[in-house]
Amino acid sequence: MNKENSEDVKVLEAQIERLREELVELERQKQNNYKDMTFSFTGEMQNALSFVCGQTQGRRKEVVMSQLEEEVNKMEEGLRRQTQMNGINLDSCITKTLQRSENKCIQQLCISGHCSEQEFQVEFQLSEEKQGDSSVRTVSDLNIVMDTTDHQSFKNFMSGAKENNDLLLFFRTLRTYLERCNDRCRTFQHFQKKYPSVVSLPGGCRSEVMSLSHPQLPGLVMFIHWLVDVSKEGKVTSKMDLLTKIPERALQLFPSQALSGTTEAFQSLLRILGPEAAVESVIGAISLSEDT
Amino acid sequence: MDTVLSKGVFSHFGLLEVQARNRLIRPQQSSRVKELKAEVAALKIKREQLKAEIQTHKTLQKLRLSVDKQSIDKEVEEMEEEFADTELLKLMAKHSHIKDLIYAHHLLGGYNIIKTNNDKAVCVSLATAYEGFYLDTYNLEIDLRSVLRISHHNIPPFIPLNSLAEQSNIQTDVKAFLELLSLHLNAYAGRKQQLKLVKEQFKSVEVMESNTLCTLLVLMFTASTKRTPVLCTLDYSDHTKSLPTRVLFECEDSDLPNSPEWKEHCSLLMETPVHKALMILRNVGDII
Repeated sequence: MNKENSEDVKVLEAQIERLREELVELERQKQNNYKDMTFSFTGEMQNALSFVCGQTQGRRKEVVMSQLEEEVNKMEEGLRRQTQMNGINLDSCITKTLQRSENKCIQQLCISGHCSEQEFQVEFQLSEEKQGDSSVRTVSDLNIVMDTTDHQSFKNFMSGAKENNDLLLFFRTLRTYLERCNDRCRTFQHFQKKYPSVVSLPGGCRSEVMSLSHPQLPGLVMFIHWLVDVSKEGKVTSKMDLLTKIPERALQLFPSQALSGTTEAFQSLLRILGPEAAVESVIGAISLSEDT
Repeated sequence: MDTVLSKGVFSHFGLLEVQARNRLIRPQQSSRVKELKAEVAALKIKREQLKAEIQTHKTLQKLRLSVDKQSIDKEVEEMEEEFADTELLKLMAKHSHIKDLIYAHHLLGGYNIIKTNNDKAVCVSLATAYEGFYLDTYNLEIDLRSVLRISHHNIPPFIPLNSLAEQSNIQTDVKAFLELLSLHLNAYAGRKQQLKLVKEQFKSVEVMESNTLCTLLVLMFTASTKRTPVLCTLDYSDHTKSLPTRVLFECEDSDLPNSPEWKEHCSLLMETPVHKALMILRNVGDII
Protein backbone atom coordinates (compact mmCIF):
# COMPACT_ATOMS: atom_id res chain seq x y z
CA MET A 1 0.00 0.00 0.00
CA ASN A 2 2.77 2.40 0.96
CA LYS A 3 4.58 1.77 -2.25
CA GLU A 4 1.48 2.56 -4.32
CA ASN A 5 0.92 5.80 -2.49
CA SER A 6 4.47 6.94 -2.73
CA GLU A 7 4.38 6.23 -6.40
CA ASP A 8 1.21 8.26 -6.72
CA VAL A 9 2.93 11.09 -4.90
CA LYS A 10 5.94 10.91 -7.17
CA VAL A 11 3.75 10.96 -10.27
CA LEU A 12 1.75 13.90 -8.97
CA GLU A 13 4.83 15.85 -7.93
CA ALA A 14 6.34 15.34 -11.38
CA GLN A 15 3.09 16.53 -12.95
CA ILE A 16 3.13 19.62 -10.75
CA GLU A 17 6.72 20.36 -11.72
CA ARG A 18 5.83 20.12 -15.42
CA LEU A 19 2.74 22.32 -14.97
CA ARG A 20 4.79 24.94 -13.12
CA GLU A 21 7.33 25.02 -15.93
CA GLU A 22 4.52 25.34 -18.43
CA LEU A 23 3.08 28.28 -16.51
CA VAL A 24 6.45 30.04 -16.43
CA GLU A 25 6.73 29.61 -20.19
CA LEU A 26 3.18 30.86 -20.79
CA GLU A 27 3.78 33.86 -18.53
CA ARG A 28 6.93 34.68 -20.47
CA GLN A 29 4.98 34.41 -23.73
CA LYS A 30 2.28 36.69 -22.35
CA GLN A 31 4.82 39.34 -21.30
CA ASN A 32 6.48 39.22 -24.70
CA ASN A 33 3.16 39.71 -26.46
CA TYR A 34 2.40 42.67 -24.21
CA LYS A 35 5.71 44.21 -25.25
CA ASP A 36 4.72 44.04 -28.92
CA MET A 37 1.56 45.97 -28.38
CA THR A 38 1.01 47.33 -24.95
CA PHE A 39 -2.46 47.35 -23.45
CA SER A 40 -3.54 48.57 -20.09
CA PHE A 41 -5.97 46.27 -18.32
CA THR A 42 -7.34 48.19 -15.38
CA GLY A 43 -10.82 48.95 -14.10
CA GLU A 44 -13.56 48.02 -16.56
CA MET A 45 -11.04 46.63 -19.03
CA GLN A 46 -9.83 44.17 -16.40
CA ASN A 47 -13.41 43.08 -15.75
CA ALA A 48 -14.01 42.59 -19.45
CA LEU A 49 -10.78 40.64 -19.86
CA SER A 50 -11.64 38.31 -16.97
CA PHE A 51 -15.09 37.79 -18.44
CA VAL A 52 -13.77 36.89 -21.88
CA CYS A 53 -11.28 34.47 -20.33
CA GLY A 54 -13.99 32.55 -18.59
CA GLN A 55 -14.01 34.15 -15.16
CA THR A 56 -17.51 35.48 -15.29
CA GLN A 57 -17.82 35.85 -11.49
CA GLY A 58 -21.54 35.46 -11.84
CA ARG A 59 -22.00 38.61 -13.92
CA ARG A 60 -23.98 38.81 -17.09
CA LYS A 61 -22.38 39.84 -20.33
CA GLU A 62 -24.81 42.74 -20.75
CA VAL A 63 -23.66 44.27 -17.45
CA VAL A 64 -19.98 43.97 -18.32
CA MET A 65 -20.62 45.46 -21.73
CA SER A 66 -22.73 48.35 -20.57
CA GLN A 67 -20.22 49.36 -17.90
CA LEU A 68 -17.40 49.27 -20.40
CA GLU A 69 -19.50 51.18 -22.90
CA GLU A 70 -20.20 53.92 -20.37
CA GLU A 71 -16.50 54.35 -19.80
CA VAL A 72 -15.84 54.40 -23.55
CA ASN A 73 -18.42 57.15 -24.06
CA LYS A 74 -16.88 59.31 -21.34
CA MET A 75 -13.45 58.82 -22.85
CA GLU A 76 -14.70 59.70 -26.33
CA GLU A 77 -15.98 63.01 -25.03
CA GLY A 78 -12.65 63.69 -23.36
CA LEU A 79 -10.88 62.89 -26.60
CA ARG A 80 -13.11 65.28 -28.55
CA ARG A 81 -12.38 68.07 -26.09
CA GLN A 82 -8.67 67.34 -26.20
CA THR A 83 -8.66 67.30 -30.02
CA GLN A 84 -10.44 70.64 -30.15
CA MET A 85 -8.05 72.19 -27.66
CA ASN A 86 -4.88 70.89 -29.23
CA GLY A 87 -5.95 71.56 -32.81
CA ILE A 88 -4.53 68.19 -33.80
CA ASN A 89 -6.45 65.13 -34.99
CA LEU A 90 -4.85 61.86 -34.01
CA ASP A 91 -5.72 58.72 -35.96
CA SER A 92 -3.64 56.06 -34.31
CA CYS A 93 -1.16 55.46 -31.51
CA ILE A 94 0.62 52.12 -31.14
CA THR A 95 2.84 51.49 -28.12
CA LYS A 96 5.54 48.86 -27.81
CA THR A 97 7.31 48.27 -24.53
CA LEU A 98 11.01 47.79 -25.07
CA GLN A 99 12.13 47.51 -21.49
CA ARG A 100 10.40 47.47 -18.18
CA SER A 101 11.97 47.28 -14.74
CA GLU A 102 11.02 48.58 -11.34
CA ASN A 103 12.55 52.00 -11.89
CA LYS A 104 12.62 52.38 -15.61
CA CYS A 105 10.27 51.91 -18.51
CA ILE A 106 11.17 52.44 -22.15
CA GLN A 107 8.44 52.49 -24.78
CA GLN A 108 8.38 53.04 -28.48
CA LEU A 109 5.43 55.02 -29.79
CA CYS A 110 4.19 55.44 -33.32
CA ILE A 111 1.56 58.13 -33.69
CA SER A 112 -0.17 59.31 -36.83
CA GLY A 113 -2.68 62.04 -37.45
CA HIS A 114 -3.35 65.26 -39.26
CA CYS A 115 -3.38 68.96 -38.48
CA SER A 116 -5.35 71.25 -40.82
CA GLU A 117 -5.35 68.56 -43.50
CA GLN A 118 -1.59 68.16 -43.24
CA GLU A 119 -0.83 64.52 -42.47
CA PHE A 120 2.04 63.52 -40.23
CA GLN A 121 3.53 60.53 -38.51
CA VAL A 122 5.88 60.62 -35.56
CA GLU A 123 7.85 57.84 -33.98
CA PHE A 124 9.95 58.14 -30.86
CA GLN A 125 11.22 56.42 -27.77
CA LEU A 126 9.81 57.51 -24.45
CA SER A 127 11.72 56.66 -21.34
CA GLU A 128 10.38 57.17 -17.86
CA GLU A 129 12.78 56.79 -14.97
CA LYS A 130 12.08 57.08 -11.28
CA GLN A 131 14.46 59.46 -9.58
CA GLY A 132 13.71 59.84 -5.91
CA ASP A 133 10.21 61.18 -5.43
CA SER A 134 9.55 62.14 -8.99
CA SER A 135 10.04 60.60 -12.38
CA VAL A 136 11.91 61.96 -15.36
CA ARG A 137 10.42 61.61 -18.83
CA THR A 138 12.63 61.82 -21.89
CA VAL A 139 12.01 61.65 -25.60
CA SER A 140 14.74 60.25 -27.85
CA ASP A 141 15.20 58.96 -31.40
CA LEU A 142 12.50 61.25 -32.71
CA ASN A 143 11.52 60.70 -36.30
CA ILE A 144 8.96 62.83 -38.12
CA VAL A 145 7.41 61.96 -41.46
CA MET A 146 5.59 64.76 -43.20
CA ASP A 147 5.29 65.93 -46.78
CA THR A 148 7.06 69.28 -46.87
CA THR A 149 7.15 69.85 -50.62
CA ASP A 150 4.89 72.88 -50.23
CA HIS A 151 6.58 74.06 -47.08
CA GLN A 152 10.23 74.75 -47.68
CA SER A 153 10.72 77.12 -44.77
CA PHE A 154 9.15 74.63 -42.40
CA LYS A 155 11.48 71.87 -43.57
CA ASN A 156 14.59 73.40 -41.99
CA PHE A 157 12.90 73.91 -38.69
CA MET A 158 11.61 70.32 -38.81
CA SER A 159 15.06 68.79 -39.21
CA GLY A 160 16.33 70.84 -36.27
CA ALA A 161 13.43 69.71 -34.10
CA LYS A 162 14.07 66.08 -35.07
CA GLU A 163 17.72 66.37 -34.10
CA ASN A 164 16.93 67.91 -30.74
CA ASN A 165 14.01 65.61 -29.96
CA ASP A 166 11.85 68.69 -29.46
CA LEU A 167 8.50 66.94 -29.78
CA LEU A 168 6.34 69.56 -28.08
CA LEU A 169 8.05 72.42 -29.90
CA PHE A 170 7.43 70.68 -33.22
CA PHE A 171 3.68 70.43 -32.68
CA ARG A 172 3.34 73.90 -31.20
CA THR A 173 5.11 75.34 -34.21
CA LEU A 174 3.25 73.14 -36.71
CA ARG A 175 -0.08 74.37 -35.40
CA THR A 176 0.88 78.04 -35.57
CA TYR A 177 2.53 77.66 -38.97
CA LEU A 178 -0.48 75.94 -40.53
CA GLU A 179 -2.82 78.52 -39.01
CA ARG A 180 -0.86 81.34 -40.69
CA CYS A 181 -0.83 79.45 -43.99
CA ASN A 182 -4.58 79.05 -43.74
CA ASP A 183 -4.96 82.79 -43.03
CA ARG A 184 -2.94 83.51 -46.14
CA CYS A 185 -5.00 81.11 -48.25
CA ARG A 186 -8.28 82.60 -47.02
CA THR A 187 -7.08 86.16 -47.66
CA PHE A 188 -5.87 85.32 -51.18
CA GLN A 189 -9.17 83.61 -51.99
CA HIS A 190 -11.11 86.55 -50.60
CA PHE A 191 -9.30 89.00 -52.86
CA GLN A 192 -9.60 86.81 -55.88
CA LYS A 193 -13.34 86.57 -55.41
CA LYS A 194 -13.70 90.27 -54.86
CA TYR A 195 -11.52 91.43 -57.75
CA PRO A 196 -11.53 88.59 -60.27
CA SER A 197 -10.28 90.71 -63.15
CA VAL A 198 -7.26 92.02 -61.29
CA VAL A 199 -6.25 89.25 -58.94
CA SER A 200 -5.02 85.85 -59.96
CA LEU A 201 -3.37 83.03 -58.06
CA PRO A 202 -0.82 81.47 -60.40
CA GLY A 203 0.15 78.83 -57.90
CA GLY A 204 -3.24 78.25 -56.34
CA CYS A 205 -4.45 79.65 -53.02
CA ARG A 206 -1.91 77.58 -51.08
CA SER A 207 1.04 79.23 -52.77
CA GLU A 208 2.99 82.23 -51.53
CA VAL A 209 2.18 84.45 -54.48
CA MET A 210 -0.81 86.50 -55.51
CA SER A 211 -0.48 88.33 -58.76
CA LEU A 212 -2.15 91.62 -59.61
CA SER A 213 -2.53 92.85 -63.14
CA HIS A 214 -4.68 95.17 -65.14
CA PRO A 215 -6.79 93.45 -67.82
CA GLN A 216 -5.95 96.17 -70.37
CA LEU A 217 -2.26 96.44 -69.53
CA PRO A 218 -0.94 92.89 -69.74
CA GLY A 219 2.68 93.91 -69.29
CA LEU A 220 2.17 95.51 -65.91
CA VAL A 221 2.17 92.87 -63.23
CA MET A 222 2.62 93.19 -59.51
CA PHE A 223 3.18 90.33 -57.16
CA ILE A 224 2.28 90.14 -53.53
CA HIS A 225 4.72 87.73 -51.99
CA TRP A 226 3.52 86.52 -48.60
CA LEU A 227 6.09 84.36 -46.93
CA VAL A 228 5.33 82.42 -43.75
CA ASP A 229 8.74 81.88 -42.26
CA VAL A 230 9.79 79.59 -39.45
CA SER A 231 12.99 80.21 -37.53
CA LYS A 232 15.20 77.40 -36.27
CA GLU A 233 13.78 78.03 -32.84
CA GLY A 234 10.19 77.70 -33.99
CA LYS A 235 9.15 81.32 -34.23
CA VAL A 236 6.61 81.82 -37.01
CA THR A 237 6.65 85.17 -38.79
CA SER A 238 4.75 86.53 -41.76
CA LYS A 239 6.58 88.67 -44.29
CA MET A 240 4.87 90.44 -47.13
CA ASP A 241 6.53 92.03 -50.12
CA LEU A 242 5.27 93.82 -53.17
CA LEU A 243 7.25 93.08 -56.32
CA THR A 244 6.76 94.73 -59.65
CA LYS A 245 7.36 93.34 -63.07
CA ILE A 246 7.31 96.00 -65.72
CA PRO A 247 8.60 95.61 -69.32
CA GLU A 248 11.98 97.20 -70.01
CA ARG A 249 10.53 99.28 -72.89
CA ALA A 250 7.90 100.83 -70.63
CA LEU A 251 10.52 101.71 -68.04
CA GLN A 252 12.63 103.39 -70.74
CA LEU A 253 9.70 105.38 -72.04
CA PHE A 254 8.33 106.29 -68.66
CA PRO A 255 11.11 106.45 -66.11
CA SER A 256 9.31 106.92 -62.88
CA GLN A 257 10.67 107.31 -59.44
CA ALA A 258 7.36 106.15 -58.11
CA LEU A 259 7.98 102.65 -59.43
CA SER A 260 11.41 102.25 -57.89
CA GLY A 261 10.10 103.20 -54.50
CA THR A 262 7.17 100.76 -54.68
CA THR A 263 8.66 98.13 -52.43
CA GLU A 264 9.46 100.53 -49.61
CA ALA A 265 6.15 102.31 -50.05
CA PHE A 266 4.32 99.04 -49.66
CA GLN A 267 6.17 98.29 -46.44
CA SER A 268 4.99 101.62 -45.01
CA LEU A 269 1.45 100.88 -46.14
CA LEU A 270 1.70 97.55 -44.35
CA ARG A 271 2.82 99.22 -41.18
CA ILE A 272 0.09 101.83 -41.29
CA LEU A 273 -2.89 99.94 -42.62
CA GLY A 274 -2.12 96.32 -41.86
CA PRO A 275 -1.87 93.53 -44.44
CA GLU A 276 -5.41 93.32 -45.80
CA ALA A 277 -6.00 97.04 -46.12
CA ALA A 278 -2.59 97.51 -47.71
CA VAL A 279 -3.29 94.87 -50.36
CA GLU A 280 -6.73 96.34 -50.93
CA SER A 281 -5.26 99.78 -51.60
CA VAL A 282 -2.68 98.37 -54.06
CA ILE A 283 -5.47 96.63 -55.93
CA GLY A 284 -7.39 99.86 -55.87
CA ALA A 285 -4.42 101.69 -57.35
CA ILE A 286 -4.10 99.24 -60.23
CA SER A 287 -7.81 99.26 -61.02
CA LEU A 288 -8.02 103.05 -60.84
CA SER A 289 -5.63 103.49 -63.73
CA GLU A 290 -8.45 102.15 -65.91
CA ASP A 291 -10.42 105.30 -65.29
CA THR A 292 -7.57 107.67 -66.16
CA MET B 1 -12.06 -19.34 5.95
CA ASP B 2 -10.13 -22.26 4.71
CA THR B 3 -7.10 -20.07 4.14
CA VAL B 4 -7.29 -18.67 7.64
CA LEU B 5 -7.58 -22.09 9.13
CA SER B 6 -4.81 -23.44 6.94
CA LYS B 7 -2.38 -20.60 7.69
CA GLY B 8 -3.17 -20.46 11.29
CA VAL B 9 -4.75 -18.00 13.67
CA PHE B 10 -1.45 -16.22 14.51
CA SER B 11 -0.61 -15.56 10.92
CA HIS B 12 -4.13 -14.22 10.50
CA PHE B 13 -3.64 -11.92 13.48
CA GLY B 14 -0.35 -10.83 11.90
CA LEU B 15 -2.18 -9.99 8.69
CA LEU B 16 -4.83 -8.02 10.58
CA GLU B 17 -2.08 -6.14 12.43
CA VAL B 18 -0.41 -5.12 9.16
CA GLN B 19 -3.75 -4.03 7.74
CA ALA B 20 -4.46 -1.92 10.84
CA ARG B 21 -1.04 -0.33 10.69
CA ASN B 22 -1.56 0.49 7.04
CA ARG B 23 -4.87 2.16 7.83
CA LEU B 24 -3.06 4.38 10.28
CA ILE B 25 -0.33 5.32 7.79
CA ARG B 26 -2.49 5.59 4.63
CA PRO B 27 -4.79 8.45 5.80
CA GLN B 28 -1.73 10.75 6.01
CA GLN B 29 -0.51 9.70 2.61
CA SER B 30 -3.90 9.90 0.98
CA SER B 31 -4.40 13.40 2.36
CA ARG B 32 -1.01 14.27 0.85
CA VAL B 33 -2.21 12.78 -2.41
CA LYS B 34 -5.42 14.78 -2.08
CA GLU B 35 -3.36 17.94 -1.56
CA LEU B 36 -1.24 17.25 -4.59
CA LYS B 37 -4.25 16.45 -6.71
CA ALA B 38 -5.84 19.74 -5.66
CA GLU B 39 -2.66 21.60 -6.57
CA VAL B 40 -2.59 19.94 -9.97
CA ALA B 41 -6.18 20.99 -10.56
CA ALA B 42 -5.43 24.59 -9.52
CA LEU B 43 -2.37 24.75 -11.78
CA LYS B 44 -4.38 23.40 -14.68
CA ILE B 45 -6.99 26.13 -14.18
CA LYS B 46 -4.24 28.76 -14.13
CA ARG B 47 -2.81 27.33 -17.31
CA GLU B 48 -6.17 27.55 -19.09
CA GLN B 49 -6.56 31.11 -17.79
CA LEU B 50 -3.16 32.16 -19.12
CA LYS B 51 -3.81 30.50 -22.47
CA ALA B 52 -7.14 32.34 -22.71
CA GLU B 53 -5.45 35.63 -21.86
CA ILE B 54 -2.79 35.11 -24.48
CA GLN B 55 -5.41 34.25 -27.09
CA THR B 56 -7.56 37.23 -26.15
CA HIS B 57 -4.56 39.51 -26.32
CA LYS B 58 -3.72 38.26 -29.81
CA THR B 59 -7.29 38.90 -30.92
CA LEU B 60 -7.27 42.36 -29.38
CA GLN B 61 -4.02 43.14 -31.18
CA LYS B 62 -5.61 42.24 -34.50
CA LEU B 63 -8.69 44.29 -33.69
CA ARG B 64 -6.59 47.25 -32.57
CA LEU B 65 -4.67 47.28 -35.83
CA SER B 66 -8.01 47.37 -37.63
CA VAL B 67 -9.43 50.14 -35.46
CA ASP B 68 -6.33 52.15 -36.05
CA LYS B 69 -6.83 51.68 -39.75
CA GLN B 70 -10.57 52.22 -39.27
CA SER B 71 -11.58 48.97 -40.88
CA ILE B 72 -12.76 47.21 -37.77
CA ASP B 73 -16.06 45.97 -39.11
CA LYS B 74 -14.44 43.89 -41.80
CA GLU B 75 -12.16 42.26 -39.26
CA VAL B 76 -15.11 41.48 -37.02
CA GLU B 77 -16.96 39.78 -39.88
CA GLU B 78 -14.03 37.49 -40.42
CA MET B 79 -13.94 36.70 -36.76
CA GLU B 80 -17.63 35.99 -36.30
CA GLU B 81 -17.10 32.25 -36.50
CA GLU B 82 -14.38 31.96 -33.92
CA PHE B 83 -15.58 33.81 -30.89
CA ALA B 84 -18.79 34.22 -28.99
CA ASP B 85 -17.66 37.48 -27.45
CA THR B 86 -16.91 39.51 -30.61
CA GLU B 87 -19.04 42.46 -29.51
CA LEU B 88 -17.25 42.68 -26.20
CA LEU B 89 -13.83 42.28 -27.79
CA LYS B 90 -14.62 44.98 -30.34
CA LEU B 91 -15.58 47.30 -27.49
CA MET B 92 -12.39 46.46 -25.62
CA ALA B 93 -10.31 47.25 -28.70
CA LYS B 94 -12.12 50.58 -29.07
CA HIS B 95 -11.51 51.38 -25.39
CA SER B 96 -7.79 50.79 -25.64
CA HIS B 97 -7.60 52.71 -28.94
CA ILE B 98 -9.19 55.81 -27.41
CA LYS B 99 -7.13 55.53 -24.24
CA ASP B 100 -3.93 55.44 -26.28
CA LEU B 101 -5.02 58.46 -28.32
CA ILE B 102 -5.69 60.47 -25.17
CA TYR B 103 -2.26 59.49 -23.86
CA ALA B 104 -0.72 60.56 -27.17
CA HIS B 105 -2.45 63.95 -26.91
CA HIS B 106 -0.88 64.45 -23.51
CA LEU B 107 2.53 63.67 -24.94
CA LEU B 108 2.25 65.78 -28.08
CA GLY B 109 -0.23 68.52 -27.47
CA GLY B 110 1.11 70.03 -24.34
CA TYR B 111 -2.35 70.82 -22.91
CA ASN B 112 -4.42 68.42 -20.86
CA ILE B 113 -7.97 69.57 -20.45
CA ILE B 114 -10.31 68.21 -17.85
CA LYS B 115 -13.77 69.57 -17.29
CA THR B 116 -14.77 69.68 -13.67
CA ASN B 117 -17.85 67.79 -12.52
CA ASN B 118 -20.27 70.66 -12.56
CA ASP B 119 -19.02 71.82 -15.96
CA LYS B 120 -18.48 75.30 -14.60
CA ALA B 121 -14.72 75.26 -14.93
CA VAL B 122 -11.90 73.56 -16.77
CA CYS B 123 -8.54 72.44 -15.44
CA VAL B 124 -5.75 72.89 -17.92
CA SER B 125 -2.37 71.29 -17.55
CA LEU B 126 0.47 72.83 -19.54
CA ALA B 127 3.51 70.70 -20.15
CA THR B 128 6.93 72.18 -20.83
CA ALA B 129 9.81 70.44 -22.52
CA TYR B 130 13.22 71.28 -23.91
CA GLU B 131 15.36 69.17 -26.21
CA GLY B 132 13.65 65.91 -25.37
CA PHE B 133 13.35 66.45 -21.62
CA TYR B 134 9.91 66.92 -20.16
CA LEU B 135 10.23 69.63 -17.54
CA ASP B 136 7.74 71.22 -15.13
CA THR B 137 3.99 71.00 -15.64
CA TYR B 138 1.86 74.01 -14.80
CA ASN B 139 -1.81 73.90 -13.95
CA LEU B 140 -4.60 76.42 -14.10
CA GLU B 141 -8.26 76.32 -13.40
CA ILE B 142 -10.38 78.56 -15.58
CA ASP B 143 -13.84 79.55 -14.44
CA LEU B 144 -16.24 79.30 -17.36
CA ARG B 145 -19.06 81.42 -16.11
CA SER B 146 -20.14 84.66 -17.76
CA VAL B 147 -16.72 86.23 -17.39
CA LEU B 148 -13.77 83.89 -17.91
CA ARG B 149 -11.53 84.05 -14.93
CA ILE B 150 -8.46 82.16 -13.81
CA SER B 151 -9.36 80.85 -10.39
CA HIS B 152 -6.38 78.74 -9.35
CA HIS B 153 -2.96 78.24 -10.79
CA ASN B 154 0.62 77.33 -9.94
CA ILE B 155 2.32 79.59 -12.43
CA PRO B 156 5.29 81.46 -10.97
CA PRO B 157 4.68 85.14 -10.21
CA PHE B 158 7.34 86.37 -12.61
CA ILE B 159 5.23 85.19 -15.55
CA PRO B 160 2.76 88.05 -16.12
CA LEU B 161 -0.38 85.92 -16.26
CA ASN B 162 -2.94 88.72 -16.18
CA SER B 163 -1.29 90.84 -18.82
CA LEU B 164 -0.96 87.80 -21.09
CA ALA B 165 -4.65 87.10 -20.58
CA GLU B 166 -5.53 90.64 -21.59
CA GLN B 167 -3.10 90.67 -24.48
CA SER B 168 -4.63 87.59 -26.08
CA ASN B 169 -8.29 88.40 -25.40
CA ILE B 170 -8.93 85.47 -23.13
CA GLN B 171 -12.66 86.24 -23.07
CA THR B 172 -13.08 85.53 -26.77
CA ASP B 173 -10.16 83.25 -27.48
CA VAL B 174 -9.04 80.90 -24.73
CA LYS B 175 -6.88 78.92 -27.14
CA ALA B 176 -4.88 81.97 -28.15
CA PHE B 177 -4.27 82.75 -24.48
CA LEU B 178 -3.13 79.20 -23.73
CA GLU B 179 -0.92 79.23 -26.81
CA LEU B 180 0.74 82.48 -25.66
CA LEU B 181 1.11 81.26 -22.09
CA SER B 182 2.61 78.00 -23.32
CA LEU B 183 5.11 79.97 -25.42
CA HIS B 184 6.24 81.96 -22.38
CA LEU B 185 6.39 78.95 -20.07
CA ASN B 186 8.28 76.80 -22.54
CA ALA B 187 10.78 79.55 -23.31
CA TYR B 188 11.34 80.05 -19.58
CA ALA B 189 11.72 76.28 -19.07
CA GLY B 190 14.21 76.19 -21.95
CA ARG B 191 16.34 79.00 -20.53
CA LYS B 192 16.24 77.44 -17.07
CA GLN B 193 17.29 74.08 -18.47
CA GLN B 194 20.18 75.65 -20.39
CA LEU B 195 21.42 77.30 -17.19
CA LYS B 196 21.19 73.97 -15.35
CA LEU B 197 23.22 72.25 -18.06
CA VAL B 198 25.83 75.02 -18.03
CA LYS B 199 26.29 74.58 -14.27
CA GLU B 200 26.49 70.79 -14.61
CA GLN B 201 28.72 70.47 -17.64
CA PHE B 202 31.11 73.40 -17.30
CA LYS B 203 32.85 73.54 -13.96
CA SER B 204 35.35 76.06 -15.27
CA VAL B 205 32.62 78.50 -16.21
CA GLU B 206 31.34 80.59 -13.33
CA VAL B 207 27.78 81.87 -13.24
CA MET B 208 28.15 85.39 -11.89
CA GLU B 209 24.55 86.47 -12.14
CA SER B 210 21.19 85.11 -13.13
CA ASN B 211 17.61 86.06 -12.35
CA THR B 212 14.54 83.93 -11.57
CA LEU B 213 12.97 84.44 -14.98
CA CYS B 214 16.35 83.50 -16.51
CA THR B 215 16.33 86.52 -18.79
CA LEU B 216 19.71 87.73 -17.70
CA LEU B 217 22.81 85.60 -17.49
CA VAL B 218 26.34 86.72 -16.72
CA LEU B 219 29.09 84.15 -17.10
CA MET B 220 32.81 84.25 -16.47
CA PHE B 221 35.00 82.00 -18.53
CA THR B 222 38.68 81.89 -19.35
CA ALA B 223 39.90 82.53 -22.86
CA SER B 224 42.74 80.19 -23.72
CA THR B 225 44.88 82.99 -25.18
CA LYS B 226 46.85 84.32 -22.21
CA ARG B 227 44.27 82.72 -19.92
CA THR B 228 42.32 85.97 -19.80
CA PRO B 229 39.07 85.99 -17.90
CA VAL B 230 36.15 87.11 -20.05
CA LEU B 231 32.84 88.32 -18.70
CA CYS B 232 29.93 87.40 -20.93
CA THR B 233 26.52 88.97 -20.56
CA LEU B 234 23.51 87.30 -22.20
CA ASP B 235 20.35 89.34 -22.39
CA TYR B 236 17.10 87.54 -23.20
CA SER B 237 14.75 90.45 -23.70
CA ASP B 238 12.28 88.47 -25.79
CA HIS B 239 10.60 86.31 -23.18
CA THR B 240 9.10 84.00 -25.77
CA LYS B 241 12.53 82.90 -26.92
CA SER B 242 15.18 80.74 -25.35
CA LEU B 243 17.97 82.41 -27.33
CA PRO B 244 19.50 85.73 -26.24
CA THR B 245 18.75 88.99 -28.02
CA ARG B 246 22.09 90.51 -27.03
CA VAL B 247 25.52 89.15 -26.18
CA LEU B 248 28.26 91.28 -24.69
CA PHE B 249 31.88 90.41 -23.90
CA GLU B 250 33.95 92.34 -21.40
CA CYS B 251 37.60 91.80 -20.81
CA GLU B 252 40.69 93.50 -19.34
CA ASP B 253 42.24 93.20 -22.76
CA SER B 254 39.94 95.59 -24.61
CA ASP B 255 41.11 94.32 -28.02
CA LEU B 256 39.84 90.79 -27.48
CA PRO B 257 36.10 91.42 -27.78
CA ASN B 258 36.69 93.25 -31.04
CA SER B 259 38.79 90.55 -32.62
CA PRO B 260 37.16 88.73 -35.55
CA GLU B 261 37.30 85.44 -33.61
CA TRP B 262 35.35 86.78 -30.69
CA LYS B 263 32.89 88.59 -32.91
CA GLU B 264 32.15 85.16 -34.34
CA HIS B 265 31.76 83.79 -30.84
CA CYS B 266 29.26 86.54 -30.24
CA SER B 267 27.16 85.40 -33.21
CA LEU B 268 27.47 81.81 -32.10
CA LEU B 269 26.04 82.63 -28.71
CA MET B 270 23.18 84.52 -30.34
CA GLU B 271 22.20 81.60 -32.53
CA THR B 272 22.98 78.55 -30.43
CA PRO B 273 21.70 77.58 -26.98
CA VAL B 274 24.35 78.59 -24.45
CA HIS B 275 25.26 75.07 -23.26
CA LYS B 276 25.84 73.94 -26.84
CA ALA B 277 27.75 77.09 -27.72
CA LEU B 278 30.09 76.68 -24.74
CA MET B 279 30.69 73.06 -25.76
CA ILE B 280 31.73 74.21 -29.23
CA LEU B 281 34.01 76.91 -27.81
CA ARG B 282 35.64 74.42 -25.50
CA ASN B 283 36.10 71.85 -28.25
CA VAL B 284 37.85 74.29 -30.57
CA GLY B 285 40.10 75.28 -27.67
CA ASP B 286 39.05 78.91 -27.40
CA ILE B 287 38.00 78.64 -23.80
CA ILE B 288 39.18 76.50 -20.97
